[in-house]
Amino acid sequence: MAGGTARWADARSDYEAADAAGFGLAPDDLRHWRPFYPIEIAWARKHGLPLAAARRWAAGGVRVHDAVRARALGLTPADVRRWTDAGFLPADAVEANEAGVSLEQAVAWREAGFVFPDAALLIHDGWTLEAAAAAR
Amino acid sequence: MSPVLSEERNRLLCQTGPGTPMGELLRRYWHPIAGAAEFDERTVKPVRVMGEDLTLYRDRNGTFGLVDRHCPHRRADMSYGFVEDTGLRCNYHGWLFDHTGRCLHQPFEETAHPEGRFRDKVRITSYPVAEKAGLLWAYLGPDPAPLLPDWDRFHARGYKQIAISYVPCNWFQGQENSIDPVHFEWLHDNWSRELRGESGYRAPAHRRLGFDEFDYGFVYRRVREDTTEDHELWTTGRVCLWPNCLYTGHFEWRVPIDDENMLSVGWFIDELPGDAPYEQDRIPCWYAPVVDERTGRWIDSHVMNQDYIAWVGQDPIADRTKEHLGESDRGVIMLRKRMLGELDVVAAGRDPLGVIRDPAVNRRIHLPIIPRPAAPDGPPPFPFLAGQPEEIKKELEEAWRACAGPAGDPTRM
Repeated sequence: MAGGTARWADARSDYEAADAAGFGLAPDDLRHWRPFYPIEIAWARKHGLPLAAARRWAAGGVRVHDAVRARALGLTPADVRRWTDAGFLPADAVEANEAGVSLEQAVAWREAGFVFPDAALLIHDGWTLEAAAAAR
Repeated sequence: MSPVLSEERNRLLCQTGPGTPMGELLRRYWHPIAGAAEFDERTVKPVRVMGEDLTLYRDRNGTFGLVDRHCPHRRADMSYGFVEDTGLRCNYHGWLFDHTGRCLHQPFEETAHPEGRFRDKVRITSYPVAEKAGLLWAYLGPDPAPLLPDWDRFHARGYKQIAISYVPCNWFQGQENSIDPVHFEWLHDNWSRELRGESGYRAPAHRRLGFDEFDYGFVYRRVREDTTEDHELWTTGRVCLWPNCLYTGHFEWRVPIDDENMLSVGWFIDELPGDAPYEQDRIPCWYAPVVDERTGRWIDSHVMNQDYIAWVGQDPIADRTKEHLGESDRGVIMLRKRMLGELDVVAAGRDPLGVIRDPAVNRRIHLPIIPRPAAPDGPPPFPFLAGQPEEIKKELEEAWRACAGPAGDPTRM
C-alpha cells in the first residue's frame, strides 16, 4: 500500500501516488493503465493515445511519448521496430521520420561517430556526412 | 559552419539581448532577479537582466518597481536615486517616476512652466515586478504578461531559503546541465570522492536514460547499476523546467545577466519533522561566493559550485562547433532542438511552451518530485552551495527543533 490512503492502493510508491494526484489522475487510472507511469498516462490522455494503443506500442518497447509522436507521423510499431532492430532507440525512428532520414543514412552517420539525434539536426541543416566528418 | 552545432545556431541559443530571437523567447516568461528579503535593509538595487541595465526598488508604500538604470532626463544613474511614498526619484534633478514608468514630478519644470505638463510627455522604461515565494520576479516582455507560475512546491511545509550566485558564463550552459543526468555520476559523485582523497571509488554507473516532455519542460529518468526501473529515479525522474530552470525538489533558475554572465537563483526547502503547522514569515536570501579567496580558484566543495566549475570551464560562451556529442547528450540535443523550435513559435506570434494564462490552471501546479524526508537527527549541512551564513543555519536548526518537539504546538518563526 502506498500513497497514504487505500484510495491509492495501486500506486507503486508514495511518490507515484503524489505524482498521479498532481497530474489530475484518479486512483482507478493507475490501476487501468498499469504499468504506465503517471506522466505517461497524463500525456497519453492529453494527446488522445488510447490505452490499447499504448499497450501495443509498449509491447514493442516504445514508450508513450515516442508512441504519441510516432502515431502523429503515421508510423506503425513495425516501422519503429526496423530501427530498434538496427540498434537505434524508438525516439530515433521518430526523429528520422521528422527529418526525412533513412535508416541506411542513419547507420552511416552512426558509424562515422555521430549520435543519431544530433545527426538528424545536422542533416536537417543541410550537412552531408562527408562535410560533417571533415569539419569535425 | 562546422559540426556539431553551427555558429549561427550557437548564437541563437546564447544571445538574449533585446531583439535577439532567444531574448524574445525568454522575455515571454517571468524571471527571478532578487530575493524580497534583500529589501528589508535597502530600497534600491542596480540589476542587469538579459543585457538590460535596470534599477530595482521598493517605494515607501511597499510597491516594487523595475525601471531603466538611466533617468530619461540627463541619463543619471537611477540606482543612486531615492524612494518616496510612491516611486523612485532621480538624485540629479529630482525627477520622480512610478513603477509603471510614469513621470510624477519634475521640480524645476513645474516651477518654470506649471501648466506645461512636460512630465506627461516623458516616461522611463519600466517592467512589471511581482513578489512570490520570497523572490522578486521580473517580466521584460510584451503585454499582456502571462501569469507567474504558482508551483505547488512553493506551498510545501518546510524551511525555505534563497541563495543567489553570479556565474561568469552564458545561461544556456547552465540550462543544458539541467538535462544531463550522467554528470551527477562524475562531477558530483566520483569527483567529490577524489577531492576528499578517496581514490579508487566509482559511483554506480548509469545504464539507461529516458527523457519525457511534459507541459512545463522535460522529465529525465535514469537507471544506474544499483537501481532498476522500479526506482524513483526512473519512475518519477527529475525535471528540466522550461525555459531556464532545474527542479529536483528545489529550484535552480539560470537567469541571463548578459550573454557572458548569469544569475544562478536557488530556491531551497528543508523538510521539517512532525506535522504541526509551520509558517515562515520571511524567506531569507543570501549571496553565495563562487571563488575561494585563499586560492583564487573556483570553490569545489558543494554541488552547485561543482556545476559552476563545469559551466565556466566551457568558456564564457561555449563554442559548440567544437563539441563531440555522445549518447549521454541526448537530453541536451533534445533541449536544443526544442529551444530552437520555440524561437520559431515566438517569431510566429504565438505563446511558447509553458506560458500560463489560465488562472484555473495556475493553482499549485504539480511538478514530479522525489521527496526528501526530514532528516531524523536534525538538518544536515547545506549541500548545494558554499558560504551559507551562520544565522540561516541557526534559524533552520531552531525551526527543526521546534517542529521535532512536543506535537501539536503551531510553530511560527
